[in-house]
Amino acid sequence: MGIDVLFKIAGVGILISVIHTALKQAGKEDMAHLCTLAGFAMVLLWVVQLLGRLLNTVQDVFSL
Amino acid sequence: MWLKFIGSLMIVTAGASIGFSLAARYMERPRQIRQLISCLSALKSHINYVAIPLPDALAQCTGGITGPVAELFHAMSDLLASDGALTPHSAMTQALNSIDALVLNRPEREVLSVFSANLGGMNREEQHKSLELVHVQLSRIQYDAERLCEQNVKMYRYLGVCGSLAVVIVLL
Repeated sequence: MGIDVLFKIAGVGILISVIHTALKQAGKEDMAHLCTLAGFAMVLLWVVQLLGRLLNTVQDVFSL
Repeated sequence: MWLKFIGSLMIVTAGASIGFSLAARYMERPRQIRQLISCLSALKSHINYVAIPLPDALAQCTGGITGPVAELFHAMSDLLASDGALTPHSAMTQALNSIDALVLNRPEREVLSVFSANLGGMNREEQHKSLELVHVQLSRIQYDAERLCEQNVKMYRYLGVCGSLAVVIVLL
């Protein structure tokens, strides 16, 4: 695992926050929340994959 | 590495251009409605005070205005001059369909359709009243269009750029 995943997550966070602000200023609060939720789900998918790898590594280390 | 960079640049350019073109559409609409109001005011003067035939009045009411709105009135004038059996309503409908650069939405198209259906079918006072009504309706639509423009222009620009950047991050 490289540090690039962390940068990816940070980049998505920044972009989603900008999109949220732009949509909220345009009076589309529901779309802004939907967009934030989509970004959160996307990042969650990456994090879940990483957590899966972590758990597999723990299993291998302790020979479970 | 360079291939990725060029691909990312192309995605960002495409997203930004889509966002900017949508924003330009929202900016163009109030301008065209303003031009339409100006042309209709000139047409009202031509009908009330100059009393010239409708094709000539339609051609002359676009003085000082260029772009799709002027083209609309000129197309309508040409259609009416070339075919004597054509009603103003069908001429307006054909002209509206023939000009692609018009970014008018449904409400103003409906107002124009009703206006053209009444054009030439009544006496001068009634047409004056009809044109004043159209003027009021178009002013209201222009106000709404300007409000929408203020709201949406920034949003589409930001969405175009940020959306494409998000796609680049996901694909990298």
